[in-house]
Amino acid sequence: MSGFYEVFEVFSRKNDTAPLQHQFSLLAPNHEIALVMAQENFMRREPVSDIWVVKRSDIRQMTEEEKGALKRLDNKDYRTTKGYGYLKKKWRQYEQEMFDEKEILSWKGEIQR
Amino acid sequence: MAIVTSFERLSEEDKYQRFMERIEAGEKIEADDWMPDEYRMTLIKLIAMHGISEIMGALPEKEWVPKAPTLRRKLGIMAKVQDEMGHGQLLLRVAEDLMAPLGKTREEIMQDLFSGNLKFHNVFHMPAPTWGDAGLIGWLVDGAAIITQTNMLDASYGPYARALKRICAEEVFHAQHGESIILALAEGTKEQKEMLQGALNRWWDALLMFFGPDSPSTTGTSKQDITIKYRIRTKTNEQLRQDFFTKYVPRILSIGLQLPDETMHYDETEGKWIYRQPDWNQFKEIIRNNGPKSKERLRLRELSYRHNAWVREALSGSKATV
Amino acid sequence: MIVTKLEELHQLPEYKEALVELLFQLADDDFIIAYRGSEWLGLAPHIEEDVAFSSITQDTMGHAAMYYQLLEDIGMGRADDLAHGRGANERRNAILLEEVNGPGHYLYEPQYDWAFAVVRNYFYTQAKKVRIDSLKNCSYEPLAQVAVKVNMELYYHLMHWRTWFVQLVNAGGEARERMRKAVEKVFDDFAGVLSLGEKGEKMVECGLIDSEEVLKARWLQAVKPVFEQTNLELPSEFHMKRGNGRNGEHTADLIEALATLSEVYRMDPLAIW
Repeated sequence: MSGFYEVFEVFSRKNDTAPLQHQFSLLAPNHEIALVMAQENFMRREPVSDIWVVKRSDIRQMTEEEKGALKRLDNKDYRTTKGYGYLKKKWRQYEQEMFDEKEILSWKGEIQR
Repeated sequence: MAIVTSFERLSEEDKYQRFMERIEAGEKIEADDWMPDEYRMTLIKLIAMHGISEIMGALPEKEWVPKAPTLRRKLGIMAKVQDEMGHGQLLLRVAEDLMAPLGKTREEIMQDLFSGNLKFHNVFHMPAPTWGDAGLIGWLVDGAAIITQTNMLDASYGPYARALKRICAEEVFHAQHGESIILALAEGTKEQKEMLQGALNRWWDALLMFFGPDSPSTTGTSKQDITIKYRIRTKTNEQLRQDFFTKYVPRILSIGLQLPDETMHYDETEGKWIYRQPDWNQFKEIIRNNGPKSKERLRLRELSYRHNAWVREALSGSKATV
Repeated sequence: MIVTKLEELHQLPEYKEALVELLFQLADDDFIIAYRGSEWLGLAPHIEEDVAFSSITQDTMGHAAMYYQLLEDIGMGRADDLAHGRGANERRNAILLEEVNGPGHYLYEPQYDWAFAVVRNYFYTQAKKVRIDSLKNCSYEPLAQVAVKVNMELYYHLMHWRTWFVQLVNAGGEARERMRKAVEKVFDDFAGVLSLGEKGEKMVECGLIDSEEVLKARWLQAVKPVFEQTNLELPSEFHMKRGNGRNGEHTADLIEALATLSEVYRMDPLAIW
């Protein structure tokens, strides 16, 4: 028999609101065994709330050259709050607070009247 | 499909130059990036040896896993040896990805180990006849391993650096696990103290050899210059050995142990430790699998590998059936 | 009746006797199967499995330590002495769990049988799960609390061993044949795992655990779908071909295991290690 088992990439989430994080890769004959191996191989000491295993052959990675596509100029403040910082001063003229990220994310459906 | 680009039309020299620029700029090289053969082959040799050493390194300590003297010690050493296997897993995965373009897999790594083509660290050829040895391995062999591995934490090869980061985080537990065993012995009965001193005497030369020869002229096999050129590591073998002395000699002496080298001292003017050289001819013999336990441990590894072959064969290429 | 405090326990000598017996069964079972697991370390079919298996072994020895601690709390002696210092005839583990992993020694010429490991661990873990579910209602509250904790780790153990079991049996060919033989071999002594020993009736009377019959029925019910999925025949009776470990009957395998696992301990049982 040529070769060994297949390569599976292992991803996990620390808690229910955390993003999936790549852990490492392992060899297993199929998804089921890969899943049974994953936690104890890479997360023996930390909390985990979810695990994904993905066959590496199903992943389209970037080549060294294609990573060039990831570069961009630093002239796009119109898509970030950085480009709208002057609003703080403006709102002050109307005796209003600026709704910044901290303020908006604090609402959580619990706006007090 | 990947777009065929200007990079692929570069000459080999230009590719090499670009590669070295990346290395010198501190960029990380990834598995599928272009790399010179010398870099790939050096990494394969280094990382496969490192990985297989972890796997073989589980064996001398494994002897003491079922025998550990208390429930807590049984659990502690089991977790420690499990980590060694786990480190082997991480490192072999890194080596396997580097070998993939050569059409090689873990199967070939194991076959290379059995045939003697793939070496493992000198320390794991040595006997561990007492519980004191189990403690001493955890304390000083792991201590030496921490010194060499942290030296490569910033290695230019990204997957290796990431694996080492995981490994070194666990080595902190290993160091403390070893300290816990040896301190209990050092503070114990006369017999326990003797057990510990005996283990230190047995392991001293092997510990010095662990860092490798000072220069290729000693054994003719050192790869240190190439690994430094490609920024896989930063310090030489001798610098690492000196670091080990600086960190560990004061601790060894502080708990009432004696160094099995009466010439050992720190030379203030030269700014280095003076010590008796181990027998480097013996080192050569050991890593050629002619050490005291080489054959026995290889046999153990090969036997278990062969004896379980039916499991791998049964499931290779299978569809999940659950 | 619920017993929560040691003072209450010490006034109930018969209850205490049944409880101590049960705790030794639970502790010795997990301890010896974990010992056998520790011999496997480094020898599993592939490296990833070696790591996963060792976690299960550690969990299992951790469970044994919790039961020995309950015994220590009751005044039966130090947990470490109970684990390392008792002779074979004092042990209460099932004979199936003390059996060697295969021919050879863990350091020399081991020819360990992965099929036996998978079947023994899967069947035992399922029996343990049934027992733990029953112990969650144990009349001795400290044990009921331990059962709740142990239960948390059993989900993974069961998933792990069941996955191996189903895949190897369904792989067909040589693997299936090896697994079928291992199933036969395990059933020869499996009644010993489900036995509560001579004091079993007293345990049930004291509300410590459900009866052997109830536990066995639940075990059969739990594995039935897996046997159907793998097209294996599930017998209704098991055996104790080599005797009942719950009553102190044991084999040479246990004597040898005890000598190894207590080798360092016995050098000086009073020393701090």
